[in-house]
Amino acid sequence: MIAAALPSLVPACPLPSLFAVLSRDPGGGAEPLAEEAILRLVEEARSGDAEARRTLYVQHVDRVFRTVRGMLRSDADAEDVTQDAMLAVLTSLHRYTPRRDARFAAWVTTIAVHTARRRFRRRRPELTATGELPDTPDDGADPADALDRARQRAALLVALGELPEREREIVSLRYGAELNATEIGMAVGIEPATVRKMLERARTRLADRIEALLTPQGELL
Amino acid sequence: MTDDELGVMWTTLEPTAGQRRRIDARVFAWLDAHDTPLAAEWLGLFTATPVSAVGLVSASAVSVVVATPVLWLARALVFV
Repeated sequence: MIAAALPSLVPACPLPSLFAVLSRDPGGGAEPLAEEAILRLVEEARSGDAEARRTLYVQHVDRVFRTVRGMLRSDADAEDVTQDAMLAVLTSLHRYTPRRDARFAAWVTTIAVHTARRRFRRRRPELTATGELPDTPDDGADPADALDRARQRAALLVALGELPEREREIVSLRYGAELNATEIGMAVGIEPATVRKMLERARTRLADRIEALLTPQGELL
Repeated sequence: MTDDELGVMWTTLEPTAGQRRRIDARVFAWLDAHDTPLAAEWLGLFTATPVSAVGLVSASAVSVVVATPVLWLARALVFV
């Protein structure tokens, strides 16, 4: 009887889409939203909408991780700082004031930078940990492609470890958080013109060092 | 190495699935633990507000006035 009733209950939900919904990775990435949509979510989250808060989290957590990972010396540190920074963001939304010259992501990243600085102010940098491979390989990922990415990651982290701290911060904000010079200037407290100069210098040094570390075939020297 | 190539290379620093799961779990465990507890939400329903308090008192008074003779009549009918 139940089996007979099922087709009439679920005609609007075709099986492939049901599988897609059920197999969706709740912790996965998300298509980036426009700034207006983000600001609407901020308003909704402020008024207690838990789903809006979760969407804001999903929209920004990977960006925060890849930004602080470029600034810090290990994946474990980046995990801790990402967690603390995202909690600070989600519990401080009432303090956020939209600005014409900076996106919400800039505010989020500024909190992440301050969290990283505060947490590691007294700690001396250790050896850069670069040999960590993904603990859960993506399903269907090409092993050769995964190896290439692991080599690129290692070269990038070695090159970043050789940059002065301020330059490391600035390139991480540029390429990790995808901020512009004005937004980076606000995050680290320097003029946009100075950011541009420092960014150009750091980018050249970083690119030269990465090219020296990788063979033309993409292998790590 | 171009600006775009460097940007693509930065995507290798994204968290792995396991790292992302750990961060998600810790953040949402903290938020869930610090969200308004159920008891507080129930207590919130009883917060005194002038309009609803007046309404509640008026409704109670009307029901007492109406219910007393109705009950008396019903009782009289039953025990006749």
